[in-house]
Amino acid sequence: MAEPILEMKQITKYFGTTVALKSVDFTVYPGEVRGLIGENGSGKSTISSIAAGMQKASGGEMFFHGKSWAPESMIDALGHGIGMIVQESGTIQGISVAENLFLGETKQFQNAFGLVNRKRMNEAADAALNAIGITDVRGAMPMAAIDFQTRKLVEIAKVVMKNPDILVVDETTTALSQDGRKILYDVVRQFKENGKSVIFISHDLDEVMEVCDELTVLRDGVMAATLSKKDFDADVVKQYMVGREIQGDYYRSDYDTPVSDEVVLELKDGCAADLNHLNLQLHKGEILGIGGLSHCGMHTLGKVLFGADALKQGTVMAGGTQVKDESTAMNLRIGYVSKDRDTESLNLNASIGDNIAIAGLDQFAVNRHLILRSKEKEYVNRQIENLSIKCFDGEQEVSQLSGGNKQKVVFGKWVGRNSDILILDCPTRGVDIGVKQFMYQMMYRMRMEGKSILLISEELSELIGMSDRLIIMKDGAISGEFARSRDLTDSKVIDYMI
Amino acid sequence: MKNFKKVAAVALSLSMAFSFAPSASAAKSTKIGVLVSDTTSGEALGFRSYYEDYIEEQYDVTFIYSDQLEDAAGEKDAIDSMIAQNCKAIISFSSFDRPAQIEQCEEEGVYYAVATGTLTDEQYETYKEYEYYVGAIGPDNDTEFQTGYDMAKYYLDQGMTNFGIFTGAVPYYTEMHIYRVAGMLTAMVEAGGDDANYNGATDKDSIVAQIYADGCAISTGSIGTVNLLSVVEGYTMDDAWYASCEAAVNAEGLEAFLAVGNGADFFAASKPDSVKIATVDSYVDSLGEAMSAGSVDYLAGKFNSSIGPIFIAVMRAIDGNPLRTDEGYALALGQGYWVATSYEDFQTYQSGDSVESPAYTKDILDQYLEADYAAFAEFVGAYTYDDITNVG
Amino acid sequence: MKQEKALKAPSQAKVLMKRRILNLVPIIGLLVLIAVYVFVGYWEDIRFDKGIQAIINSSVVCAVVATGAIFIYTLGSFDISLGAATLVSAMIGAMAYNATGSIVVMMLVCILVAVGIELISSLLAAFLDLPVFITTVAMMSILNAFALVLIQINGTGDSISIPSEAVDPFDNMAFKLAVLILYLIFAVFMFNYTKIGRSQKFLGGNSLCAKLTGISMKKMAIVAFVLCGVGIGLGAILTVTYAPTVSRNTASGVGMNVILAIVFGGMPVSGGAKSKISAAVIGAISISVLDQIMSILQLGSGVGQMVKAVIFLAVVVLTSLGYRQKMLAR
Repeated sequence: MAEPILEMKQITKYFGTTVALKSVDFTVYPGEVRGLIGENGSGKSTISSIAAGMQKASGGEMFFHGKSWAPESMIDALGHGIGMIVQESGTIQGISVAENLFLGETKQFQNAFGLVNRKRMNEAADAALNAIGITDVRGAMPMAAIDFQTRKLVEIAKVVMKNPDILVVDETTTALSQDGRKILYDVVRQFKENGKSVIFISHDLDEVMEVCDELTVLRDGVMAATLSKKDFDADVVKQYMVGREIQGDYYRSDYDTPVSDEVVLELKDGCAADLNHLNLQLHKGEILGIGGLSHCGMHTLGKVLFGADALKQGTVMAGGTQVKDESTAMNLRIGYVSKDRDTESLNLNASIGDNIAIAGLDQFAVNRHLILRSKEKEYVNRQIENLSIKCFDGEQEVSQLSGGNKQKVVFGKWVGRNSDILILDCPTRGVDIGVKQFMYQMMYRMRMEGKSILLISEELSELIGMSDRLIIMKDGAISGEFARSRDLTDSKVIDYMI
Repeated sequence: MKNFKKVAAVALSLSMAFSFAPSASAAKSTKIGVLVSDTTSGEALGFRSYYEDYIEEQYDVTFIYSDQLEDAAGEKDAIDSMIAQNCKAIISFSSFDRPAQIEQCEEEGVYYAVATGTLTDEQYETYKEYEYYVGAIGPDNDTEFQTGYDMAKYYLDQGMTNFGIFTGAVPYYTEMHIYRVAGMLTAMVEAGGDDANYNGATDKDSIVAQIYADGCAISTGSIGTVNLLSVVEGYTMDDAWYASCEAAVNAEGLEAFLAVGNGADFFAASKPDSVKIATVDSYVDSLGEAMSAGSVDYLAGKFNSSIGPIFIAVMRAIDGNPLRTDEGYALALGQGYWVATSYEDFQTYQSGDSVESPAYTKDILDQYLEADYAAFAEFVGAYTYDDITNVG
Repeated sequence: MKQEKALKAPSQAKVLMKRRILNLVPIIGLLVLIAVYVFVGYWEDIRFDKGIQAIINSSVVCAVVATGAIFIYTLGSFDISLGAATLVSAMIGAMAYNATGSIVVMMLVCILVAVGIELISSLLAAFLDLPVFITTVAMMSILNAFALVLIQINGTGDSISIPSEAVDPFDNMAFKLAVLILYLIFAVFMFNYTKIGRSQKFLGGNSLCAKLTGISMKKMAIVAFVLCGVGIGLGAILTVTYAPTVSRNTASGVGMNVILAIVFGGMPVSGGAKSKISAAVIGAISISVLDQIMSILQLGSGVGQMVKAVIFLAVVVLTSLGYRQKMLAR
């Protein structure tokens, strides 16, 4: 085998008390597309971001092209041959595409007077976009004028035009449309053909197995396995990720369970910033899936149904009462799990107990008002137990938990107060497979108990796997509706999204 | 957070152990608490310097100064703290609630004296028999009135008729300033001819009453043949207020501008050469410079050692030889300002009352350690520079 | 990459221990200050009985008002008009006594006026959809001007007084401590044992999350201000009964001392889950002890202010460091 291009030895990383990486060895060879997969919090993003200069390791050493490698920053790393496309959007809206591409590097376009020659800069930008097959976006366009998914492509162009030896792709495809994905896959192939390397990180097991030559599985900050293409097997990989065999069904397996006709939550003619005369009914004992691209209005829909976002027109009704605000919704036994867990669903500086108890104060208060420590503890501990939240005790700060356990705390908030209707906005985002399966099982159990769930998600497989009925939204309106069926596939649904 | 707090506290205690060792020897001397509401004015610093740099050197006493005081509660807190520190007496320059101070000291058995002011007649009647109330020496309302009156009269006698007034804390209902302004207005009414009046009032008592009735806002206008052209009030000290100060001293036809205080600070710089500024202040260097430059023309000021006699009265009370009136009552003695109308006056007064050789020296003060009330009263009453030098 | 020794992550037990010790630090800080006071006191041979009296007298108003203010600070908000509100309540209370001759009426008026002032601040903020501290800034100016108007209406020189005989029965340790302790019990109960207190703590930590859990910032702000108003009213009563002459600067230091007390007492200025009522009392007493030490050492107001400022900054920086270190694992 050839000399490795990147060697990471005994890399260790701590975040406060949390161990993100435990003495991990990781090696990448030229011309290789290396997959990195693992549950959230397994360390896969951490190790690649250390290689790409985004953060520094707590211990260990790295070699790139055989020489000691210690990038000061992402820019430093990119300049020396390792470029990373990050999860979070890194573009600036107020300026043009070209200015984004050449941010901080406009000197090359300066004329004798120190002024930037925009024409030349825009031409260079167009060339960089053309190089990866983007033809509908031009350098002169304002960044704000292009949609969210295409912005991601600009980010890809920005890294690729530096011609790095290693390209790190971190959960990029989830933000891309089918066309966008094709562009990214082409870029990956080009890298491979030119004898360069790609580190490809994704939640999507199918995608990783398709794109990569080698696959490294991380679990709890340690290397669980490295597999070659010939050994790829979804079940085997999942087992390595979770560390045990997954018991039972992943999604629900029933297809004919009837749903009641009783409407428990209804939106009539709903208009808001990104909702366009939307009508929608949720039935008792139904899991209603809502899918679409991230800006189709489905996230707003979730908030509107909970009374958290105001409607310009239309009403939300539940059990004959109008839902005007969050407290009305809660009194009607509606619960809401936001997609932005850390900013909207949790108070990170508070304890697990505080977070769980806050939504259930009226559940355990004596005479509806007196909060007793003992009753509260009992209530909190019940939720911790029911949801198998991995923690020291209820007093522990919620910020110390892993993503999956944090999300369990959020569920505990709403399940604890015995909500009849749950509005779940991307409930499994950033949650590992084990917890995902746990949540699917819980949703199903609740559905069978006659509770209703509105499941908003950007993951088609989970929508298809869990929903009694699936609604696809586009531009604030319903573009398609599908009944639960064995025959429903991603490809049938996806056309209604774009 | 918090290791710091520990470290700071330990550091604090260590620093005490080293730097305050000398004070332990002084701890045996008699402690007297001094209440001060304004710790940073030139006047307050001058007084403090006389006590700490002269009296403490000459007598076996230590003065415990209060922090800046803001209200009556602050006064009580400070007295509490001084009593805890074994002070045998309190000398007060703070007047938020004199009766409360007197009551508190009487209850605690600590002597109490008012340094630069007096009680009202009514208050004096109430407290004159209190065992621990030593008394008051300083400008009473009559003296304050007279100070304002003399200041205005000085210019009226020169034939001037166009005036401006800075009323200072009058809008905050501060008595001392109200009486000074009333004095100025009374002098103007007397000089303004037969029909002259200030908003209908014509004599001391009615003018004081009128000021209160008007909500302590002084109005401009004619007082008979005398014209009050401009008035500046308060200590707002924002841009608009400074602009009003400048406008006031530049009023058309203005001859003299009378300030109840701080005349040099706010008015001297922007005035036309022809306008005379008169002020009540103290004998600090900056005022000497102002007088020498001609930007301040008339100064009524307390002299630093004017608080010497009250110290003697307090010491005698502590030593068991209290000074009481012939009826056995507490002291109530008026003491006025030194008035300088030229730089020469100022120089004479300042050099005659320095820290090294104050007007009231130990030699002079010692003469009254055994004197009777009449002699002491006469001594205090003779407060002018010439009087004191003659006594010496 | 530099060769770094692999660091050991602290164990859970150590974290728990650290949590407990951190909770105790304000108390430890106070005990250290008291130790310094005793040391200095013996050195200078002071009368400790009078010293303790001085410490309680000078801290009780701040402690009571700060206890009320905890409800506001918990929300991550603040009220800059606390001193002015205490002043106006005390003034109107004193005027009420002069009009009726009843000390009970005076006490009721103090509390009602204070609650009224806080209610206006918070309702105005809710009505105008402004952050509530904005209205308290306006309220401070209005109240200070109003105090001057009251002095004018009252018409007895530059202050409003009531006879000291009237308040004598209340100017004692028993009354002061009773007011403080009863209000403390009330505040601790409201704070820890009711939905209101729990909701307020949660709001201070993450108002967006609180909103999505059905907690209304506006409602809770109004409740917090009313609860604080009770504390201000009690502070006004203690002010009048202690020093029955109310002038325009009365209680002017209360606002600043309350902020200092709350920070010295170990509560984050940002409020939230780590808010605690005890911070008010521990902080207020700490400041008084510090003042006494300064006074005994005759360090003067300048040095005293600087020492407080340095401790204040250090405490705030160190508490916020705790937040900054908490970078999230990806």
